[in-house]
Amino acid sequence: MLEIQDLHVAVDGRPILKGLSLRVRPGEVHAVMGPNGSGKSTLAFVLAGREGYEVTAGSARFGDEDLLALEPEERARAGLFLAMQYPVEIPGVANMYFLRQSLNAVRKSRGLDEIPAAEFMRKVREQARLLGIGEELLKRDLNAGFSGGEKKRNEILQMAILEPRLAILDETDSGLDIDALKTVADGVNRLRAPDRAFLVITHYQRLLDYIVPDVVHVLADGRIQRTGGPELARELEERGYEAVLGGRLAA
Amino acid sequence: MSVAANRRRVDPDPAFARAFEEAASRLPGARFPELATARERAIARFVELGIPTQRDEAWKFTPVARLVNRPHAVRPPSEPPLERVLPHLLGGPKARRLVFVNGVLQPQWSHVGGLPERASIESLARVLETRPTAVLEELAEPDQGRSFTALNAALTDCGAWIELSPGTELADPVQLLFLTVAGASAPMSHPRIVLRLGAGARLALIESHVGLEPGPALTNLVFGARLQEGATLAHDRLLFQAAEAAFVGRAEVHLGGASRYEQTTLALGGALLRSESEVSIEGGEVECRLCGLAVPREGEHVDTFVRVHHRAPASHSDQLFKSVVEERGHHAFAGKIFVHPGAQRTNAYQKNENLLLAEDGEVDVKPELEIYADDVKCSHGATCSELDPSALFYLRARGLDAATARGLLTWAFAAELLGRLADPSARAAARRALAARLPAGAPADEEAAA
Repeated sequence: MLEIQDLHVAVDGRPILKGLSLRVRPGEVHAVMGPNGSGKSTLAFVLAGREGYEVTAGSARFGDEDLLALEPEERARAGLFLAMQYPVEIPGVANMYFLRQSLNAVRKSRGLDEIPAAEFMRKVREQARLLGIGEELLKRDLNAGFSGGEKKRNEILQMAILEPRLAILDETDSGLDIDALKTVADGVNRLRAPDRAFLVITHYQRLLDYIVPDVVHVLADGRIQRTGGPELARELEERGYEAVLGGRLAA
Repeated sequence: MSVAANRRRVDPDPAFARAFEEAASRLPGARFPELATARERAIARFVELGIPTQRDEAWKFTPVARLVNRPHAVRPPSEPPLERVLPHLLGGPKARRLVFVNGVLQPQWSHVGGLPERASIESLARVLETRPTAVLEELAEPDQGRSFTALNAALTDCGAWIELSPGTELADPVQLLFLTVAGASAPMSHPRIVLRLGAGARLALIESHVGLEPGPALTNLVFGARLQEGATLAHDRLLFQAAEAAFVGRAEVHLGGASRYEQTTLALGGALLRSESEVSIEGGEVECRLCGLAVPREGEHVDTFVRVHHRAPASHSDQLFKSVVEERGHHAFAGKIFVHPGAQRTNAYQKNENLLLAEDGEVDVKPELEIYADDVKCSHGATCSELDPSALFYLRARGLDAATARGLLTWAFAAELLGRLADPSARAAARRALAARLPAGAPADEEAAA
C-alpha cells in the first residue's frame, strides 16, 4: 500500500530524512518511534504533501501511484489521511460545513454522489458520540477555541468520516490525558480493517499500549535504525533511545 | 497663498463654481436670502480651501483630486426602473424609507408615515423649505478646513433630518437609500443627514449608497448624529458604488453618557470610497463599536479614516476594520484614538486586519493612540498578510482543491463583518455583494450545512 524507498528530504536546504525506507501493507499498523528531531514530523508532512519539504532523492508509492507527484488534495482523495499534531484553528469556517465539503470532495473523486445532508449528520453524530465530542463542538468553527484534546478528537472524527486507506497519525497522543488517549485509541482501533493501514508516529510508547502495532520502526537521524515487533516499543520505553540505538544515534 | 505654495491643496475645477451658479436658484430653500448667502459663502470657502492633495496628512494615502476634481452635474434627472431599485430596498416590509436618485427625492418609493408622535423623519429638502434656520445652524458649524464639508454646505439638497424625542423607539429600521445613476451625466449629490436621538431613544438606521450605472459620479455626504443619555443607534452603512464613481463621506457622532452606537460599514464597490468617522464620547458608560470591511480591486481605492475621542471617564470603544485587497486594489486605514485629560478608566481598542491577495494590491495603515490619562486600557493592532499557508494546507490535506480552500479562507476572513451588521436584510444584501466580489464567491450551500 505504501512503499517508501531511500527517501531523502531537506528543509531549507538542511537534510532531515537521509535515506528512509518503509513498506506498509493493507491491514497493518506500523509505529514509527523516534527521539525529538529525528524527522518524524517531516515524514508525516512530506507524505501528506506540505510545501517546504524538498525531496532530494528516493520515492514513495501509494498503491499504484507516485505519491510525491500528487497535490495534497489529490493524496487526500486517493485515500491518505494525516491526523495532525497541531490541527489549525480556522475561525469563520464551520466545523460541520468543512467536514461535509471534505467528504464530498473525496466522494466525488471516487465517483460517488454527494452525501445527503441527513445521512451525513447521522454519521457524524454517531462517530461524535463514540469519540465523546459534544453537539456544541460540532457547531463551532473548525478547531476554533478547541482544547488540545478536543482538536485531537476532531482529527479522529474527520478520519472516521473520510474513511481513508492509509491514516498517518502524527503525535496524536501529545497533550492528551489518559482518558482522552483511550478514547482516541478506541477510535483508531474501530477503524482497523483488512484494507486499511496505519502509520502511527509517536515519541512515547504509551499510545502503543492501546493501539497495538504489527511493526515498530525506530527513526533516528533521518533513517529507520531498527525494525521489530511491539516488544521493540517496550524496550525503548524501558531503556531509552540512546541505549537501544547505541552508537547509531547521532549526537 | 501659503496653502497653495506647499501644495497641500489644489484649486478646484472651475466647473464646481459654475455648477453652483447654475444650480443655486433651484436648490431647495433658495428663496430664503440667509440660506442663499450661507451657500454663497460656503462655495467661496470651498474654492478658497481647494481640494486636498496627498501632502495633507488626512489624505496622505488617497489621490482624491485625481478622482474627484472634474466637472459634475447637479441633480441630472434619471428614472431607474423599479426592478433595479427593489433589491436595494432594505429593512423589511415595515421599514420607513427615503429614496433619492442623483440627489432627488423619489416620493413613489419613499414613505415615512405612521410614526409615533414624538418622532420625525423629514427629507432635508423639505426642512430647507420649512425650517431653513435649523439647517442654517448646521451649515454654520465650522468646517475646520475640510473642503468637502464646505462643498456640501454650498450644494446640499438631499438627505434627511431625523429626530426622536426622549424615550421614543422605532421598532422597524429607517433606510436612507441614495442611488446614483451615472451614465454620461457625471452627477454629483451632497446629502446631509442630521440625526438627533433624545435620552433613551432607539433607532436602527440603514444608510445605503448604491450606484446603478458605471461612470464618473460624486457623492459627498455629511452625517451628523447626537445621542443623548442612554440613546441607542445601530448604523449599518452599505457603500456599493458603481465603477468610476467616488464617495466622500464624513460622519460626526456625539455620544452622551450610557449611549450605545454601533456603526458597520461595508465598502464593496466604487473607484473611491472615503469613509471618515469622528466620534466624540462625551459621557461615561458609553458603548461605541465601529466596524468595517473593504474589498477593493481593479484600481478601486478605499480610504477608512477614523477618529475616536474619549472626553469622559469610564467609556468603551472598540474598532474592527478589515480589508481583502485583490488585484490592483488599494486600502488605506488611518485610525486614531484620543484619550483626553480626565477620561480615566477608558477602554479603547482598535484592530485592523488586511488580507492582501495580490502582489499588485496595496495596503497602507496608520494606527495611532494619543493618551492624556493614566488609568486607561488602550490597544491597537494592525496586520497585513496573505492567506495562512498552514490553514491552506490543512484544508487541502482534507481533499479541498487549492482554489476552494483559498476561497473558503478568504470568505471566512471577510464574512465576520457581515455578522456585525445589525439588520438581517442589510446582512443578506451585503452577503450577495460580497459573494459577487470575492473570486470564489460564497461557499456552496453554506446555509444547508450550518
